[in-house]
Amino acid sequence: MTRIGFQSALITTLRLLLGAFFIMSGYEKLLDLKFFGLIIAEYQILPSFLIPAVALLFSLCELLCGTMLLINLFSRFSSSVMLCMMVIFIAAMINNVMRGLEHDCGCLKFLSQWYGLKEEIGIVPIVRDILFFILLLPIALLGSNRIPWKKDQK
Amino acid sequence: MPLNIMSGKPLPGKLFAALVVLLLSSISPSLSQLHAAESVALVKEVSAELDLAATKAIFDSHSACFVDARSEYVYYKSHIKGAISLSDSRFDEQFPDFKQKKAIETLIVVYCTESSCGKARRVARKLMKNGYRNVRVYTGGLIEWAHAGFPMEG
Repeated sequence: MTRIGFQSALITTLRLLLGAFFIMSGYEKLLDLKFFGLIIAEYQILPSFLIPAVALLFSLCELLCGTMLLINLFSRFSSSVMLCMMVIFIAAMINNVMRGLEHDCGCLKFLSQWYGLKEEIGIVPIVRDILFFILLLPIALLGSNRIPWKKDQK
Repeated sequence: MPLNIMSGKPLPGKLFAALVVLLLSSISPSLSQLHAAESVALVKEVSAELDLAATKAIFDSHSACFVDARSEYVYYKSHIKGAISLSDSRFDEQFPDFKQKKAIETLIVVYCTESSCGKARRVARKLMKNGYRNVRVYTGGLIEWAHAGFPMEG
């Protein structure tokens, strides 16, 4: 009983924290999609014609998945989508670091604006995304896919 | 098989290799001098560098095209008024469009962030390799320009 309570509390805490975080991150990207697109271009991975669509897709994914995590709607599915995105971000950053490129990572602009943190690609954003990946895992593995306002059918 | 000039007998392999090395070493100093002369000429051309006053005079005369060598996403946020983005990192993608807009004889002033930033010189070199001969580098960069309170946009 105690174990289930702890697990539930852990997943709820992670859902709320990560949900709020991804909402902020997705929202700020949607506010200036062109800027986010230019940063994606700087990664030199995608062809130019795909960049606007990918910028929109990533921003929307972050915003929607964040919202769904926050309200516990399909939270397992949302966290799985975010896990996939984290893998993409980590792989892209490692690729660029290995190629010796230097540019903004395009992760969390509000951190650099509010706290003066530099957001250039490197070990710090990579480790941070790995941490997010680890934090998302419990929700993806143990969370629920239920719709909170629908009664459980027995 | 190489032959001994004097006796007509085959030369041992090591002796032949030594002769080749000797021959190459006698040629290489003159070759390296040629390379040095070429790079000095390139540096001299690129080192047509401008200080703040000279750059402002050119800016006021509207006789030059200002080129921002920093990444596009930084250019998007702020740049010298009227400047065009031609970033060092995505030069190959941006150059065809630039070439269509700017004639080969146009006076071009390239800048980046500050004097220690090498992007402006690299872009100037690339422009010259592509036929633009009237290229200057504004060494002070955007920081000096902004501190002086000169026109910016973005």
